[in-house]
Amino acid sequence: MILLDIKNLTIELETAEGLIRAVDRVNLTIREGEIRGLVGESGSGKSLIAKAIVGVLNKRWHITADRFSWAGQDLLRLSYEEQRKIIGRDIAMIYQEPSRSMDPTAPILEQLIESIPDSELESSWWGRPFERRKKAIALLHKVGIRDHQAIFNSYPYQLPEGVCQKIMIAMAIAKKPKLLIADEPTTALESTTQAQLFRLLASFNQLKGMSILLISHELETVARNTQTLSVLYCGQLVEAGETATILKQPLHPYTDALIKSVPEFQPDLASKQPLYALPGSIPTLQHLPIGCRLGPRCPNARKECVKTPVLDRLQNHYFSCHFPLQGKK
Amino acid sequence: MMTTPLLEIRQLYKSYQKAQGIFGRKTIQALSDISFSLYPGQTLAIVGETGSGKSTLAKLLVGIETPDSGEILLEGEAVTISDYKKYNHVIRYIFQDPARSLNPHQKVGQMLDDVLRYSTQLDEEQRQDKIHQTLQQLGLMEEHADYYPHMFSGGQLQRVALARALIMDPKLLILDEALTALDPSLRAQIVNLLLELQKNTGLSYLLITNHLRLVRHISDSMLVLHQGKALDYGQTHEVFSNPQHDYSKKLIKSAQS
Ligand SMILES: Nc1ncnc2c1ncn2[C@@H]1O[C@H](COP(=O)(O)OP(=O)(O)OP(=O)(O)O)[C@@H](O)[C@H]1O
Ligand code: SF4
Ligand SMILES: [Mg+2]
Repeated sequence: MILLDIKNLTIELETAEGLIRAVDRVNLTIREGEIRGLVGESGSGKSLIAKAIVGVLNKRWHITADRFSWAGQDLLRLSYEEQRKIIGRDIAMIYQEPSRSMDPTAPILEQLIESIPDSELESSWWGRPFERRKKAIALLHKVGIRDHQAIFNSYPYQLPEGVCQKIMIAMAIAKKPKLLIADEPTTALESTTQAQLFRLLASFNQLKGMSILLISHELETVARNTQTLSVLYCGQLVEAGETATILKQPLHPYTDALIKSVPEFQPDLASKQPLYALPGSIPTLQHLPIGCRLGPRCPNARKECVKTPVLDRLQNHYFSCHFPLQGKK
Repeated sequence: MMTTPLLEIRQLYKSYQKAQGIFGRKTIQALSDISFSLYPGQTLAIVGETGSGKSTLAKLLVGIETPDSGEILLEGEAVTISDYKKYNHVIRYIFQDPARSLNPHQKVGQMLDDVLRYSTQLDEEQRQDKIHQTLQQLGLMEEHADYYPHMFSGGQLQRVALARALIMDPKLLILDEALTALDPSLRAQIVNLLLELQKNTGLSYLLITNHLRLVRHISDSMLVLHQGKALDYGQTHEVFSNPQHDYSKKLIKSAQS
């Protein structure tokens, strides 16, 4: 079943110079039990999309979409409060900024307890404090923290980053979400801790069927840990499909460049040889090119590219480029 | 290789005293028995997690800290803390976050000029030439000398930080997690720049990192540091294909999972 189905999501920022389109008509679907990766460079709009889905962007942002449905239900027809209720119940998010997920001024036990919704409790009200504590301990065990005593009274800053990241996952899964959005969950962590966390996320996906949207700018990590992939460049969706297919045969010049820039994906590249790199750098929101936003950096650009390409498909493989790399049959 | 190593570390030890309770003291052995050599035109990666002793090693190399015992040799000569200013020319550092290491109120040209004025005998015209030449070498433009740091993109800022390090024509550049957080296309650009500089000028790099991501591609040799001790040390491809210690195995496996 398709859980999340978003079509033409557009996110614009109000500025003195008018509206700036940070995210431009992006489509995103996530099925039950799917792990989808969302990759793109810094500033490409990954976090904005995540925040728009969970509804935490402030009023300066204008969000529109042609479709926004959850488990078959059209959320656009509901009031804002009703939307929030459904999303709050079913979707959990781990924020890129740990301070948004964790309160630096409260001890861990208190934060964990607060993250357990009343609907998860069975006892009558006098039994609840005890039940909450028991559940908090169980949550920590689930994320692989055995010694709960040692951390219950600690504050986040007293704990290693890897432990904090696990606690954030524990808090996120407390309400048994159907979808977990993890925004750069491991970027700050060391490689061995990173690997541990991915195993943890994968186990929740397998045991509980929890879907995951894994956001990162590291193609390597996303590629290893997802089944499907969406690639963003500068607020535009450039390619989407099965991770393995995209890696094997990218259709969009940006995805192609991204793959070629990672030495791990280039087994034939001898050590110390130059990596493939697109010239130039990502434009800022104030200086977005018209049409295809990759235009000024794209090796294949032609004059047609001043018109924004529409999303096209080859079976389940979506791309938006006037001149895809493998000619369309 | 029979040439003298550019940098040679011999049996370096360093411990810290940490107060414990009211009267107690605890000794933390931050580094024990570390030895390695880095040759001209080569790259050595020091790989380890937080607490492995990486930062202590960096501090010893910059001269912020002195070792308990052991030697640091630069081109075959022992270095002591009093030589710090002298060898500051030869070894330069690049940190993870270029924005934070640059003064926001100073134009880039001024900043580079300060570096030259402080450490060389060049006159004004020679300094200007050197600044323009360095900016150009890093793919920046002469006009950029009049920019303030906030006017650069992330990638350009990393180039500015490199310019500041390279303007002294160092022989060794220490990159402390300087490539880890970069975006892929930017990282590829900077990596290419570093590889090209090394090829053209024989610059050596010491890459300090807790991510194996690029180590395999850009380093000739690597040393795995764990709890202050050197585990595997050797040619990068050999360590990758045949790690001896359990910890190194775990580390290498995690980079592939
Ligand atoms: N509060 C804000 N005010 C103004 N611009 C913003 C704000 N938040 C984000 N932006 C801009 O919106 C664009 C998309 O930002 P977003 O945070 O979604 O990027 P991202 O893909 O998550 O990047 P990163 O990999 O760095 O986390 C960027 O150009 C960013 O500068
Ligand atoms: S539409 Fe044109 S500019 Fe954009 S990616 Fe395709 S070829 Fe390049
Ligand atoms: Mg983000």
